[in-house]
Amino acid sequence: MPRVTLETLPDYARYLITTAESAAKDYPATRKVQLPRLELTAHVGPGVLADALGHAFVEAAQDQRESLACRIFILHPGIAGIPEPARWGDAHFTEHGFAERLAEAGLRGHYFHDLDFWQVYDPQSRTGVQLMASADAFPPWEPTAPLRAFLHWEYAARSMRLTHAGTLGANGKGMLLAGAGGAGKSGTVAAGLLNGLDSVGDDYVLIDLAGGVTARPLFSTLKQDPRGFARLGLKQRLSNESPLNWQGKHTFHIADIAPRPVPAALDIVALVVPHISGGETSSIVPMSRRDAMIALAPSGIMQMPGERESGFRFFGDLTRLLPSYRLSLGTHPEEIAGTIADFLTRVAS
Amino acid sequence: MMRDSNAYAVASRDIVFESFDGEAVVLNLANGKYFGFSDSGSRVWQALSSGVDAQALIGLTAGGSTIAAAELDHFISQLLDLGLLARLEATAQPLPGELPAELAATSEPLHVSIHDDLADLIIVDPIHEVEEPLGWPAVKQAS
Repeated sequence: MPRVTLETLPDYARYLITTAESAAKDYPATRKVQLPRLELTAHVGPGVLADALGHAFVEAAQDQRESLACRIFILHPGIAGIPEPARWGDAHFTEHGFAERLAEAGLRGHYFHDLDFWQVYDPQSRTGVQLMASADAFPPWEPTAPLRAFLHWEYAARSMRLTHAGTLGANGKGMLLAGAGGAGKSGTVAAGLLNGLDSVGDDYVLIDLAGGVTARPLFSTLKQDPRGFARLGLKQRLSNESPLNWQGKHTFHIADIAPRPVPAALDIVALVVPHISGGETSSIVPMSRRDAMIALAPSGIMQMPGERESGFRFFGDLTRLLPSYRLSLGTHPEEIAGTIADFLTRVAS
Repeated sequence: MMRDSNAYAVASRDIVFESFDGEAVVLNLANGKYFGFSDSGSRVWQALSSGVDAQALIGLTAGGSTIAAAELDHFISQLLDLGLLARLEATAQPLPGELPAELAATSEPLHVSIHDDLADLIIVDPIHEVEEPLGWPAVKQAS
């Protein structure tokens, strides 16, 4: 099995892209997904990932201006002409060093050691490769937000950004909910959707800063741990209860609980950092931009491969464009949603 | 410490910072650690990282009291230990004219807080981030 070092990394990435393109006729299936300003074509074999591409996205309208096309090849050695993935061959590996080396060559990439799972992307030709040791040798989080690294690289190259935040909105105006895992983002989004509010996503949304702060949907998946699932009454509401995911959470889709179709965009008017207060009622009070930035940026930057400095600048700009608030979450979903709806009405007016 | 050199600079190009209403947030791109500064700490950080003479800060009013040499020494030591600042073998810059008034308007003492949320993130979504400088395969352990 070949070994790749920092020195040979760009050559290996180029080799993967060339190999994928030359074997294009041998791919069993092609999936097209229309996303905001992006038509994604994935060449993929049947299986869990192909299924995920069919239901994990919120598809955008077809006739968008500025829409560009990207192609992603999802590969494994079971497809003719596709080699075994290489192994990392240097003693030293850092995510940052890996990404920097590729960036010097105009490329983007990520490597997950446990599975010899490679993702490389050429933003010039908008071609990406995901090489796996076998058809199902992908990290367990991949089906929830498939190909998100490629979307991250493609949108970052166009000054937009996948942002790790939840969203809630009403009448086209919305808030970003930021914070580390466990802060209450997902529960708040589900509480809002169940009580008449809109959302364009509870985990990763696409943010555009051209002309204000706009959030657009990419992924349709929602997650809840069993306690939140029961507290929100989802056990009764969702008839087809799926098995728990790798985090021990239930997964379902925005459309399963949303009061109306997912809006194409929300005009974001506030950056909100939720926390579970333990109190009965919810409240929303101003907080410093510094603290809001620290809640928003680390997960958005560190959960995505590469583009760290551009991400830091982007989230800095985003934070400066919005008023920041701390949301102390009460215990009743209806009350939480009501507090948020009142707040949105007030801030948007 | 300050007796050897009064001039400092940002330690490397991996240290980036943004300012929000006068309060700085610093990120080390190499390891993902974030640093939040108090209001007076933000202004001192910005002064020191642009090469302003550290000695010139002693005796200025900040956060409701006077910056003492020992307090500034401690703060600079922290920034050096955290890998945010490095000593600069060059002539220090003079104190910017507006800085004393900006410092006098601050309300918090010199302080930097560390936000190392990676451990949490690895639990949420384990991309492989590793301890510097050991590198792979010394995966950073969630604590």
